Amino acid sequence: MNNARTESMVLTVGFILAIACAGIWQAIVEIGGGRPLQALDLFRRVPTAANLRAYERDLEDASWLTKQLRPGMQYRQFVWLKEAGEKVLIGRDGWLFYKPGVNVLLSRPRPISGNPGADDPVAAIVAFREALAERGIELLVVVAPNKESVYPDKLTWRAAGMSGVVGPKTVGLLRRLDAAGVKTVDLFAVFDRVRQTGGPPLYLIQDSHWSPEGVAVAAKAIAGQIIDYGWIERGDIAFEIRPAVVERVGDVLRMLQVPRLEQEAVPETIRCGQVIRSDTGATYKDDPDSQVLILGDSFLRIYETDEPGSAGLIAHLAGQLKQPLTSLVSDGGASTLVRQELYRRPALWKNKKIVVWEFVERDIELGAEGWQIIPLLPIGKNSE
Amino acid sequence: MNTKRLLSITLLAALVLTCVSCRRRSDGSSVTGEDPFVTTQGTVEVTARLVEVPEGAIFKRELYDYATILKYQVLKVHRGQIQGDTIFVGHYNPFKARAEAPDRRVKEIGGNLPSFQAGQTHRMALEVPIEDFFMGGIVNKYFGQEIGPLYWAVWTNLAGK
Repeated sequence: MNNARTESMVLTVGFILAIACAGIWQAIVEIGGGRPLQALDLFRRVPTAANLRAYERDLEDASWLTKQLRPGMQYRQFVWLKEAGEKVLIGRDGWLFYKPGVNVLLSRPRPISGNPGADDPVAAIVAFREALAERGIELLVVVAPNKESVYPDKLTWRAAGMSGVVGPKTVGLLRRLDAAGVKTVDLFAVFDRVRQTGGPPLYLIQDSHWSPEGVAVAAKAIAGQIIDYGWIERGDIAFEIRPAVVERVGDVLRMLQVPRLEQEAVPETIRCGQVIRSDTGATYKDDPDSQVLILGDSFLRIYETDEPGSAGLIAHLAGQLKQPLTSLVSDGGASTLVRQELYRRPALWKNKKIVVWEFVERDIELGAEGWQIIPLLPIGKNSE
Repeated sequence: MNTKRLLSITLLAALVLTCVSCRRRSDGSSVTGEDPFVTTQGTVEVTARLVEVPEGAIFKRELYDYATILKYQVLKVHRGQIQGDTIFVGHYNPFKARAEAPDRRVKEIGGNLPSFQAGQTHRMALEVPIEDFFMGGIVNKYFGQEIGPLYWAVWTNLAGK
């Protein structure tokens, strides 16, 4: 009887110590570092559901023990079990995918109510188009396909033989935009056609973004559509393409935050085409007085302000249109943030005839700050 | 050990931890938030009270890095000029302690603030306007309410009252 009691006491105390030691040690680390106890944040915030979730997340992120153990655990999970956690999916042939994007592809569209609210991309896009139309400016919407929409066969063998799939939410968005008379560039169909002809991949293997080939194909399609609509004519500035090679560890791989994986990963060798002005030999540069304003996210930033520079969609579209563009880029913020920034920069409206608005497909659902309706200009401001 | 005694010890330990955690440091620097960085970086230097942290303003996302606009009531202007006593300041990746915030994209920021809590007093070195110093996404829960420019937080130290 006594032995049984001792055993249960040992087990109970051991269990309590096991679950309590992480918290006690964390308190020691924080006090030792002169920081306030993070556990007490619980009493510093209003206990709403969002704050409680944030509190739990903050505790997890700040945990000394987690920081010590997580990288090793994640590394072994990745290497031994081919499991990359809740944000990354390991595909076939070394391809990596951003899991929340895949979830968007697979999820069903929400039913459209009479008042779709601040998260309805169509309402925001149509409002933007109408505000532009009042100023005589045309809008062209470009949805940059998620990697998994173009390469579902690299995500799973079950999609072998498929060269492209468009998720129901994307189909719904494109149909509604078409019904509302908003002009769009169907890069899904364009990329699908290019894939059928073979050639280098249109997306990077370890990264969520397109490859230089994808950039070039998208630029040609967008420029072709602008010219076909007769909105502007091609300019008279000749550009040339100069090869530039960069090495890049993909953002999806870096997102795992496992240093050892990043060290062991072989960076992708990426052969870019830098856009050069034929007359001066200078690399492409924006013109704030251009007729064309392009808005977008990191799909515009990659190769453009990232290495090697002047080799992204902005430069290639300028090369196709034979004239420099005005651009405004907001990483992960093409749904709302980039238009908020545009609102703060009314000078950018000077001379504009066309706005090209690029956003990545997953932002239909995941766009930072949703899809708010943003006025073009502060009241009383005029860029002319 | 009976339950009552265990509970008393636990409560006492919690009270001690709370006192230790909330204690003020004895050196003057933590009271004023002054250090060689905050006094020399940026073009504007203020001590200001963080009015609130709007719900959903501070969050962690894996693929991208954002700045978040927070609202401050200015208590003292040490350097430079500001208009009014309320300013809106963009902090880069505010879910991180300021000492851990600099990365390969945004290098020249820092401070000793461990986390953002409404009511705290911060001593900050600032630049203005934010668009000239930060090229990424700016999460702004005050969009349309701001008067004047948005500031960019270069250095953020915790200051006493």
